[in-house]
Amino acid sequence: MPFTAKSGKFNASINAVEFGTGDKAVKIGGENVFPLYSFDAAIENAPKVGIEITDFGMEHEPECIKKYYEGCATLADMARKAASMEGVDFLSFRMEGGDPNGANKSTEELIGELKEIADAVDLPLVVCGCKNVEKDAELFSKAAEALNGKNAVILSAKEENYKTVGAAAGLAYKQVVGAESAVDINLAKQLNVLISQLGVDSKSVVMNVGTAAVGYGFEYVISTMDRVKAAALQQGDANLQMPIITPVASEAWGVKEAMASETDAPEWGSQEERGIDMEVETAMAVIAAGSNAVILKHPESIKIISGLMKELV
Amino acid sequence: MGKFVTIGERLSTTAPAVNKAFLERDPEPILKRAKQQLDAGATYLDVNIGPAEGYGPDLMKWAVELLQGEFDNVPLALDTSNKAAIEAGIAVYNRSKGKPIVNSADAAGRIENIDLAAANDAIVIALCNGEGIAKDNDERMGYCQMLLERGLEHGMEAEDLWFDPLFLVVKGMQDKQMQVLECIKMFSDMGLNSTGGLSNNSNGMPKAIRPIMDSALVAMAMMQGLTSAIVNPNDLRLMETIKSCDVFKGNTLYADSYLEI
Repeated sequence: MPFTAKSGKFNASINAVEFGTGDKAVKIGGENVFPLYSFDAAIENAPKVGIEITDFGMEHEPECIKKYYEGCATLADMARKAASMEGVDFLSFRMEGGDPNGANKSTEELIGELKEIADAVDLPLVVCGCKNVEKDAELFSKAAEALNGKNAVILSAKEENYKTVGAAAGLAYKQVVGAESAVDINLAKQLNVLISQLGVDSKSVVMNVGTAAVGYGFEYVISTMDRVKAAALQQGDANLQMPIITPVASEAWGVKEAMASETDAPEWGSQEERGIDMEVETAMAVIAAGSNAVILKHPESIKIISGLMKELV
Repeated sequence: MGKFVTIGERLSTTAPAVNKAFLERDPEPILKRAKQQLDAGATYLDVNIGPAEGYGPDLMKWAVELLQGEFDNVPLALDTSNKAAIEAGIAVYNRSKGKPIVNSADAAGRIENIDLAAANDAIVIALCNGEGIAKDNDERMGYCQMLLERGLEHGMEAEDLWFDPLFLVVKGMQDKQMQVLECIKMFSDMGLNSTGGLSNNSNGMPKAIRPIMDSALVAMAMMQGLTSAIVNPNDLRLMETIKSCDVFKGNTLYADSYLEI
């Protein structure tokens, strides 16, 4: 009997979401096949790669990152530098210093910095917060206003602050709303339902379904993404068809494999290589499980992942 | 497995208001009932125009265009013994949201509706019944085989034949209820889709009792593998039961707002 290959193409598809404006705008999602299954049907939008900088500039960064930004005096300089790195599709600004239990920088100061960056580059922007839900609600509302017309991604609304963030980012200023859950598929769906019940167009929503660095409870991250894509495509669940953006840098560069100095762990070899490895492995694994975009920070990791995407899709 | 398919039963000539609206081609009552059913979560709408001798084709065409035009090509079940009316309805039917359902064929006088569905790439409800009510499941499964073979011979996919065990009224045929449920399991074991007029079970019962009986039966039938039913989607208890069973069966992913979507 002749073998007839059956296509794994689905009737349902992931929503295609565009962010940024003009020539540099990027589009993620749109596929009607499992991640990277381009042999089943063409994947129009390959996964995209963003570069992350924070409001601390280079203050807390390892030497191996700092060296790429030598000579940068301001955040705007750093943003321009970051935007010029090979393979970068978009720029992510993390307002880490806003945390009331940390540096507790004021909203005005951080929004001022955000504007400085937005003026310096024409790449699409993703704005990340400080992980304190009350402060983030305030930061994201102001960020949505400050970036009016930029079609930026506000990453992200959580269960505790989705009303404020969704209303400002999704309704008032028509930015793309990120919906964040921490490796909890039922909450991921619920948050999308709640955000759409607010009146936000579900085609302007992306998800951050949570992540970890490889080796740190990572199997659960992968199975969550697998199940999100299965529900979205096999069951046609419209409340899970939003594309996924995964911030990888903040996780991968926070574990000892990436952070331990060569003095402390001489047997582990070069810190820079270890950090890049952690970042690349985490990024590639979440892309294979369904992330439509990843946020990284080492220029070498970005080059590797964007190169892989060109080869694979 | 996909979600349970609910076919809304409230557009039927058995309701005097609907009958009048069909005869007078009055869109308003039809659209109102259609909207109520869709808002409540119906996937398909059944359009029962009765035998409609003479004017059936014209009426079905009118109803299909009216409903699909108003509700984004909502998928429909064309329910009449008038074959010409079904053909006329399919001729103007838009398939973008799902194939039309021919309601229905049986193993006696209406077996040719299988051929009609096959010729029009439609789904057909295949009622496993001949003359009179089947005496046992051997007889039902005999009809099932006959109808399935007829469909396959005419080039249909098995998945487009939705087998109906014929739900029976409890008051009078209580002793047959488990037979019907066992029949659904046999369909399911063969990988076949199934449907039926589930609320028939509670015919003649007090109004307040019917949702309770219908909900209990739909849960038991879904456990047996029932994939669809022709029901009143405006029965909240029933719809909540179906959505909950879809969660237990893994047909849909749970979220706290699952009853609202």
